[in-house]
Amino acid sequence: MAEAGAVAAAVAHNEKEGERTLNRLALAFVALGLIFAAVAASSGDVFFFRLASEALIFGGLALSVDLLLGFAGMLSLGQALFFGLGAYVSALVLKNLLPSFWLAMGITLAVATVAGMVAAVISIRARGVYFALITFGLAQVVAKVVYNVPRLGASDGIIGIPSIRIHLGLFDIDAASPAGFFLFCLGFMMLLYAACVYLMRSPAGRVLAAIRSNEDRVPFLGYPVGLAKVLAFVLAADVAALSGALYPMLRGFVSPELLYFEVSGNAVITAIIGGAGTLIGPLYGSVLIVGLRSVIGSYTSHHLIVIGSLFMLAVVFFPQGLIGFIARRREQRRLRRVAVVP
Amino acid sequence: MHGLLETLQFVYAPQVVNGLSIGVAVILMALGLTILFGLLDVINMAHGEFYALGAYLAVSLLAAGVDFWLCLLVVPLLMLPLGYVTERLLIQRVFNRKDRHVLTLLLTFGLGIVLEDAYRIVFGPNTVRVDSPISGAANVLGMYFPNYRLFVMGVGALIIALVWVVVFRTRLGAMVRAAAHDRQMASSLGVPVSRVYSGTFAFGVALAGLAGVLLAPIYSVFPTMGKDFILLAFTVVIVGGMGSIKGAVIAGLVLMQIQALASLYISPVWTEPLLFGVMVLVLMWRPQGLFGKLGNG
Amino acid sequence: MTAVRVDESGPAIDRGDVFLAVEPILVMRDLSVRFGALRAVEGVSFDVVPGSITSIIGPNGAGKSTLFNLISGALRPDNGRVHLAGHDVTGKSPNRLLAAGLARSFQITNLFFELSVFENLRLAAQRLEPGWRSLLPAKASRAALQRTEELIERFELGAGATDPAGSLSHGQQRRLEIAVAVATRPRLLLLDEPTQGMSHGDTVETSALISSLAGELTLLLIEHDVDLVMNLSDRVMVMHQGMKLAEGTPAEVRANADVQAAYFGEVDGA
Repeated sequence: MAEAGAVAAAVAHNEKEGERTLNRLALAFVALGLIFAAVAASSGDVFFFRLASEALIFGGLALSVDLLLGFAGMLSLGQALFFGLGAYVSALVLKNLLPSFWLAMGITLAVATVAGMVAAVISIRARGVYFALITFGLAQVVAKVVYNVPRLGASDGIIGIPSIRIHLGLFDIDAASPAGFFLFCLGFMMLLYAACVYLMRSPAGRVLAAIRSNEDRVPFLGYPVGLAKVLAFVLAADVAALSGALYPMLRGFVSPELLYFEVSGNAVITAIIGGAGTLIGPLYGSVLIVGLRSVIGSYTSHHLIVIGSLFMLAVVFFPQGLIGFIARRREQRRLRRVAVVP
Repeated sequence: MHGLLETLQFVYAPQVVNGLSIGVAVILMALGLTILFGLLDVINMAHGEFYALGAYLAVSLLAAGVDFWLCLLVVPLLMLPLGYVTERLLIQRVFNRKDRHVLTLLLTFGLGIVLEDAYRIVFGPNTVRVDSPISGAANVLGMYFPNYRLFVMGVGALIIALVWVVVFRTRLGAMVRAAAHDRQMASSLGVPVSRVYSGTFAFGVALAGLAGVLLAPIYSVFPTMGKDFILLAFTVVIVGGMGSIKGAVIAGLVLMQIQALASLYISPVWTEPLLFGVMVLVLMWRPQGLFGKLGNG
Repeated sequence: MTAVRVDESGPAIDRGDVFLAVEPILVMRDLSVRFGALRAVEGVSFDVVPGSITSIIGPNGAGKSTLFNLISGALRPDNGRVHLAGHDVTGKSPNRLLAAGLARSFQITNLFFELSVFENLRLAAQRLEPGWRSLLPAKASRAALQRTEELIERFELGAGATDPAGSLSHGQQRRLEIAVAVATRPRLLLLDEPTQGMSHGDTVETSALISSLAGELTLLLIEHDVDLVMNLSDRVMVMHQGMKLAEGTPAEVRANADVQAAYFGEVDGA
């Protein structure tokens, strides 16, 4: 019993160390965000606050890609479908129903959950690249339809979305205030992140890792694979849609481009460069990509060539991504330390 | 009775011919995709960009005074080394990893982004038109149809047949299929597997380039021209069964007929969701598509 | 649904002079499945007594693994019924069968190769926790952790427990394969060639492990090693060309003339 107990303790310790590294990186992310806010606020900046808010919002989309890719091993090439859905639903609610943050979020969540279930039923039976291509097609078709439906503003999208105040109980945040909305986005994304982390570290989350590793064996351990995948898919759809719902609050408009493959593809790039399977990686990745695009964009309009090349390099040489790389380095250092001290 | 015949002749017949013409074009695209998947297990997300490159090379050569007919020959030859190098430098790096399906998909997706942006830099963002090398129109079933489209249909069918012959009826094709089926076995039988893989990829890329040249006079040439086509081609490949040549041909013809005839009744905007719906139904019925994989047949 | 009573002689365990009639835990009635023209399993009826070790033997292609697939929900029979502990479970999915107390191992090692040995076991043992706990942190799953520790010790997998299952030796992987199935605390455990490809030493150890399991669950195994089967089993069923050729105690089966002809005569020394 002593030996086995020691094994369990060693496993628990390893796990805790790994989780602690990621937790620290998440805290560092918040700290960096706050430092940025302090610096930007003191210089009276608007542009960078808006840009950073956008990075966070698209970070949420990349987070949803990571839930599927990094845990269940499902590559979605159509996550923009749910991001765009969230943006459109939120825009419609704010403009036509009531300019209320909570109402927009509630309806977005409900619609995204239903849409996620429908899309899951269509796509979940397919595996691997088939799944990737079906999600790709699904998003593409919906984008085309939205582009051609006049009631959704067709190619123009929906403009003139009223600016809102977000009631948070103790205080309000004005979405029009650059600093306020940035801080709100930071808090909101970290909540989404924490919820995802919590779920992925639960026994249910581990079943996803099992599905990724060997899908066919999972039913023989007593878990319904189909249900697990549908739940993961719906969760990812919700995360993407809730992130997208913030978009019209930031920009005041939505357009069909939000549903395009560029957005889905960009989210995959972001998740992989940031570090698939780490959850915090996609948020770092989004800051990196949005920042890079902005920097390159000040010199040339051809940022895609740089980001595309960077992505290819990452796939070949750093498949674990930025955060995956850092986490592994720390892990190796720790193990070496443990080995030295017997 | 008379009215029905007229409806058939003037309403349906043109759509059928139109669908056939688009069908051949889509099959040309799907052919390369399905070969790369069937033989190499590679989902080539950059296929549309290679198609666009074929068109752009033709535009450049034409501008330099090269004859269009010569382009049909030269462009695929120029694309061969490009495909070969791409396979060596990119695909082969991730080919032995566990998730190679997904990794090759991601790599070619990245390549597609880079290529598309490169076209904007090199060839400019604007749409280029290519004059049709064959002018005039022929009377087909009582309607006038551009001669060049008829030519493309004929040549397209010929190319499809040729590819089939190469894959299934030649020693080279047998070698490639052997390498796809069992790498170790083929290698021990003296097949230079690694070079065969690169060569096959080059072949698929050249095929995309050839489609680009052929279709350039029909559709305009612009940096994202491949992207609009690729979803259609993927739909055809998925329905037909990834890796099946026969499947791609049949699915291409059937789906494009559905699209052409449906557009008589519904707005063209909705034909794409319709095709996608057909694809989903086929997948629910047969998750592997209509026909099996190439390497095994 | 009342328990299925067996019409003919009724299953029994022979314990010296005491002859006990027992309700079977697994009842197969007239199971058949075809693959195209091939009758892989044809009209097999068979009972498994709780607490016993029952083995299915037969030459290659006799339909043993297909029968396992029919019982464990991996395949749906064209015809016939399967009852588990008195309930009709024909065509039920593997995950529902597991909930009903049936687990299996595979002939070709079928593990989560990228995950650690520990994680492989914990995933299986997680089922022991009530469903609502699956959304609590994994470290709160005390019962699962305890079960995992227990199995690591029992199957002697402690040395590489934090390593990926894929890095284990073949013998260790085979042992983990059994341990993962055992971790779910099944009432009936199906082992498909547990000693496949093992060295002689490993086979002996595994055989001891299997007989030690007999006290807590019912075992149904497919095995090629005839000596092992004869030493280990309470009952043996012989399959040939998809059909049941004979069944009985090891001694009875050994003495059966049909079996001699079809199996022992055919496969020498296997």
